[in-house]
Amino acid sequence: MSLSFMIFLYVFLIATALVISAINDILSAVITLSVFGILLATAFAILQAPDVALTQAVINSGIVTALFLVAFSQTEKPECYSEEEEE
Amino acid sequence: MSIKPYIFRIASLILCVSLGLMLFRGIAALPVTEKVTGPASHYLARTAGETGARNVVGAILFDYRAFDTLGESTVIFTAVCGIAMLFSRRKFHRSSRGLSFIAKRGIGIMVPFLLMYASVIILFGHLSPGGGFQGGTIFATVTVLLCVVFGSSFESQYFPPRTKDILESGGALLFSGIGLIGLAAGTGFLSNIAAGFPAGIFGSFLSAGSVPILNVAVGMKVGAGLSTIFYSMIKMLDAGHDHREGGGIE
Amino acid sequence: MILLSYATAVIIFCIGLYTIMIRRNLFKTVLGLALMESAVLLIIVSSGYIPGGVPPIAPFSGPAVNPLPHAFTLTAIVIGASDIALALAFIVKLHRHYRTVDLDRIRGLRG
Repeated sequence: MSLSFMIFLYVFLIATALVISAINDILSAVITLSVFGILLATAFAILQAPDVALTQAVINSGIVTALFLVAFSQTEKPECYSEEEEE
Repeated sequence: MSIKPYIFRIASLILCVSLGLMLFRGIAALPVTEKVTGPASHYLARTAGETGARNVVGAILFDYRAFDTLGESTVIFTAVCGIAMLFSRRKFHRSSRGLSFIAKRGIGIMVPFLLMYASVIILFGHLSPGGGFQGGTIFATVTVLLCVVFGSSFESQYFPPRTKDILESGGALLFSGIGLIGLAAGTGFLSNIAAGFPAGIFGSFLSAGSVPILNVAVGMKVGAGLSTIFYSMIKMLDAGHDHREGGGIE
Repeated sequence: MILLSYATAVIIFCIGLYTIMIRRNLFKTVLGLALMESAVLLIIVSSGYIPGGVPPIAPFSGPAVNPLPHAFTLTAIVIGASDIALALAFIVKLHRHYRTVDLDRIRGLRG
């Protein structure tokens, strides 16, 4: 693979990481994490590591994203937020 | 009052940048080799002869360093136990409805092909890139898909949690059993060709001794474990908005 | 090319560390952890790269890349997914107890 393609891929990877860090909406950050995982799998494939690329693609975009979305859906803000201490 | 967060942010930024510079100087000082040396050259040269497997990474994970793979399976098992223990006391109050009719019919046609794809990746792990971990994760993803599209009661009816427990423990027992066969043959725990497993013809499906069996065991364990994690976290989906029973200390 | 991969991985590691230190939302902490783990995986895999190499599947059609980093990267990916799952389970339990995922508020409520 040519060097310019690698540079483009890595710049895209760093830009995605900056988006994950800076954005305030959690849902958008989780979807961007999924994109980051696929780009990293592409980088692994170009570095001649097919096993690692397959594992990274499946685990990051399959299981980790699903678990993030389940955890996010369970932590919605309740309608009636009470101020009392809980013991 | 309003300047303290900014000082903290700037200090963190300076810390991260300097840490990055030092890390890069240290990592870039690693020697760049034109030739593979050390144990890796031994593995590359001798794998086809000593194990009969074509996939060198799979042979390393399931023959030369199979004990480390047993330790990693234990890590997954511990994580599954921890999560299942955290969410242990709840059951379904009502199940989710699933998606529309078109989605159900479409996914219903696709699911057998997904299961076949996962099985191929597990079973041909010694011939091409793949293996137990990748295939097991795809099995877990199929159960997640069924849960989303058809509703969680459908999924718990066809893959009950009891079955997943038996699959996960069965995978661990199979792995340890293969190791004990090697011990009983007198050659050492988790030994492959030396313990009498047939090496077979190089490049065919039935080759590489115990590597396919270990792939199946790890695939069962990882698939059932990840599916149990998802199911433990989702089974409170409709029971969690009830503040009376959700607020106490467990 | 290997130096380029090292530089990218170190930058992503620092971005992840900055996210963990600055952000108050607990989900952002776990996202920063995922970024840091991915950066370390990139360092490991690119340390075994031979320029002009082929994947380590026998029979080789050229010089094969180092297969040992691939083996422990596989282990590291799966263990990373397990600990992200456990961290998310803790966040759900914390939310059930404190009704917020804001770290400053949780610390304020305790002390």
